[in-house]
Amino acid sequence: MVKIPRLLLAPVAAALIAWPLCAGKFQDTDPAETQPPPISVSKLRSVSPGEFGDFLSHTFCKQGERNSKSKVYPAQGVNTLGEVIDSAWFKDRHAKRRMTLEELARGPGNSKAPSKDRPWMVTSAKTEGITPGFQIKDSAGRKYILKLDLKQWPEMASAADVIGSKFFHALGYHVPENYIVTFDRAQLALPGNAGGSVNGSAKKRPWREKDIDTILARAYKSGDGQYRALASLYLDGEPLGPFSYHGVRSDDPNDKIPHEHRRELRGLYVIAAWLNHTDCKGGNTLDMVVEEGGVRYVKHHLIDFGATLGSASFETKSARQGHEYLLDAKPSAIQFFTFGFYVPKWARVEYSDLPSVGKIEAEAFEPDQWKGNFPNPAFLNRLPDDIFWATTRVMAFRDEDIRTIVTTGQYSDPKAVEWLVRTLIARRDKIVETFLEAVLPLDNFRVSGNRLEFDDLGKKQRQTPRTLSVQWSQFENGSGRTTALPAAAAFQIPNDLATAANGSYFSARIAEGNSPKAALVYLAKRRGRIEVVGIERKW
Amino acid sequence: MDRLSRVPFTLLFTAALLGQTSIGDAVEASRRSRAPKFDFDEAPYIERGAARIAEPGIIAPVTKGLHGFRLKMGSMVLTSGFALGPEFLTGSPRFERILFRTSARFSAPGYQLYDAEFALPSLAGDRLFFNALAAHRNYPRLPYFGPGPDSSANNRTSYRLENTSLDLTAGVRPFRHMRLGATSGVEMVNVGRGRDSRFRSTEQLFGPRSAPGVDHQSDFLTAGGFLEYDYTESEGTPRRGGNYSLRFTNYVDQTLGTGSFRRVDVDLRQYLPFFQKQRMIALRAYSVLTDTSSRKAVPFYLQPSLGGPEAMRGFHAFRFYDNNLLLLTAEYRWKVSSGVELAFFGDGGKVFPRRRDFNLRNLEGSYGAGVRFNIRREVFLRLDFGCSHEGCNLWLRFHDFF
Repeated sequence: MVKIPRLLLAPVAAALIAWPLCAGKFQDTDPAETQPPPISVSKLRSVSPGEFGDFLSHTFCKQGERNSKSKVYPAQGVNTLGEVIDSAWFKDRHAKRRMTLEELARGPGNSKAPSKDRPWMVTSAKTEGITPGFQIKDSAGRKYILKLDLKQWPEMASAADVIGSKFFHALGYHVPENYIVTFDRAQLALPGNAGGSVNGSAKKRPWREKDIDTILARAYKSGDGQYRALASLYLDGEPLGPFSYHGVRSDDPNDKIPHEHRRELRGLYVIAAWLNHTDCKGGNTLDMVVEEGGVRYVKHHLIDFGATLGSASFETKSARQGHEYLLDAKPSAIQFFTFGFYVPKWARVEYSDLPSVGKIEAEAFEPDQWKGNFPNPAFLNRLPDDIFWATTRVMAFRDEDIRTIVTTGQYSDPKAVEWLVRTLIARRDKIVETFLEAVLPLDNFRVSGNRLEFDDLGKKQRQTPRTLSVQWSQFENGSGRTTALPAAAAFQIPNDLATAANGSYFSARIAEGNSPKAALVYLAKRRGRIEVVGIERKW
Repeated sequence: MDRLSRVPFTLLFTAALLGQTSIGDAVEASRRSRAPKFDFDEAPYIERGAARIAEPGIIAPVTKGLHGFRLKMGSMVLTSGFALGPEFLTGSPRFERILFRTSARFSAPGYQLYDAEFALPSLAGDRLFFNALAAHRNYPRLPYFGPGPDSSANNRTSYRLENTSLDLTAGVRPFRHMRLGATSGVEMVNVGRGRDSRFRSTEQLFGPRSAPGVDHQSDFLTAGGFLEYDYTESEGTPRRGGNYSLRFTNYVDQTLGTGSFRRVDVDLRQYLPFFQKQRMIALRAYSVLTDTSSRKAVPFYLQPSLGGPEAMRGFHAFRFYDNNLLLLTAEYRWKVSSGVELAFFGDGGKVFPRRRDFNLRNLEGSYGAGVRFNIRREVFLRLDFGCSHEGCNLWLRFHDFF
């Protein structure tokens, strides 16, 4: 290879750096739908989930680059409309194009449930701890994590895991295929070479049939001798371990945006609040190296939804969960100094007494006060436009969508379905009521005829129509300078824009009264047509 | 894609095209230029430290054992101080429903405990259970304040108790919450001079009339039975329900015959949660009644006692001894966070020589507050501060007591 002196490279690099900046705010391809194809990766390190460390470091340390009053980091990984670009992290689904009820029920896939034509081979098992389970391989050679429902909480964890996976898939996150399975003891078999540690001992030894019995002894068993479990299909690719909600992977060239600035992770706060996913942490994510079109890249997944809804996987949630961190100074101080005579609302409201539902309700739910088990840097970095983006995702779920997905939990008691559907609808409505007006909730901007049109997403919640004002300006894409068009003060496309040459840019600042909340809509004349190319929201 | 994020891509591809540097170098350069401070692999110190501590190779051998051995901490008698020692547990793959463990524990003041336990906890489809426990204890400085409710705190003495015992328990679970069974055993007791240099030895202040058994050694055969009804939650510290137990034991003195007696223990516990189990009233009534034939007396070291972190927290451990005991405890507990619970408590109780004194008159009282730390419903650390007319005590325990 010819070696070019670095001195010569420097001006080239500087010019390359400067070029896109000089190219202006918008490019002809904006708004982008997808990211550039990923760079192929070679060898990547696996990371072990550091559950305890995760809790400690996020509880006691400030991780990642944080928004503050003096410094605000806008969300990244978004196009000029503020939409999250389809990537290895996210693929916009239900909110972008309404999924049918069948598609919602199917989720990430429903055709690869473990085959029961032959016994499942137990390749690994967990004999100790609070969540009993196995790793199995079915006759088709597919591998699954099998997580059993506990005796005290039949159906709860498996239903939450399946329902969670369907919701998160429809929302756009990458998730595994989860199935509810029922089986009898004979369905589980041990291959000759199965082995590992038993009862937490450091000593390893071959597995025995009794080990399976020991694990099953803690599981829920129906009257007809059937166990119920969640079977989570192994994800395609090579596992690398979890991703972090802050920073980037040092060995992944495609991972350039600090995770705490990713809109899909910041906005996940709203979604986690809706579904009560209190265990939304690094440990419940999984990076996989996958290959598509000859390119190996890291795909980022959310996994393990056993702690969504009213379930805490191994028991029901405490009523406190979703309202306080595990260690939370302020509420603890209040309880300490009031000797417990101050009773928070969440401790006074009614919960379902169905063991399969656990503890989830909507009455004490306050979307902007919701908390996971411990601080999440991406959640804490959320800005009003992140919240608005996520709220529009939650709004996309109609009542019948929610019912369809809840039904995939296969509850034997219809009362469980009713409670959850009612609760999730009420929580969704509270989210919309609380978060939608975080910014001026105008969306779906478009040019129709000679007018700038849009939808007021907050229309349903308002008693009276919104009084809006608009200020048009000419926008110089290269310099970013704006020149007001004083004569244009309606949603009619101004003459200057209608008659402008191709490549011209204009902006319309839409505001309500004296509120600082505004939507700055950018329009461009391209190929003789006027297109909406960007949106900026002010608050 | 935002404007800035395009820069590294552009640099990357151009650099690679120019052949100046490898794609890997360019990628690394672009990554560093974009996010120099945020490296997932550079976890903060606290996270790395915690992960290191939690590594299976470090913690597991201590807590879960290595080749069957692990460290056993605590669980000795009150006043022993912190106890520590090795424990061996069977990890026999063929007999995992058969438990065997043996341990030796020592504490700084010279307390020793050696025990071995064999258990079949779940026989016949969880209907039957069996347990055998052999132990040798050598406690060199147990406190004794004299007999009865009027004993003086100024009369504290100490004595050595050496005890070798074998206890057998077999029982049945006829219903879901009920256990009933039979017990038998042998107990060889040696009482000696106390080794606490701050106090006189017990025999120097109390003779055999006030402290029966202080002047001789005795061997006992025991036999009895028990009935227990427990409908508290099955896992962790109870937060709802009740636990009621009745236990009868007949002690037969095999040496002189003067220390034979019968003992009945009644223990009633009730847990009344409210506000989604974030608040609770916990109640306990506990009584021990003994009965002897004429000219026989309950040896003082087998008498029930009051005082300490589990019975009258405002008094010193083993503050009151007598033939009979009554203890009433009430606690108001409230959770301040998911792993921390506070409590106000009040204890009332007394010891009394004759069963006809079983009443609520002349109860001693103590009161106080405590904090309990728990993980996954289980209290692992309890700090109680109890006061009475004799002063205040701070108790640190590694388990809950009811």
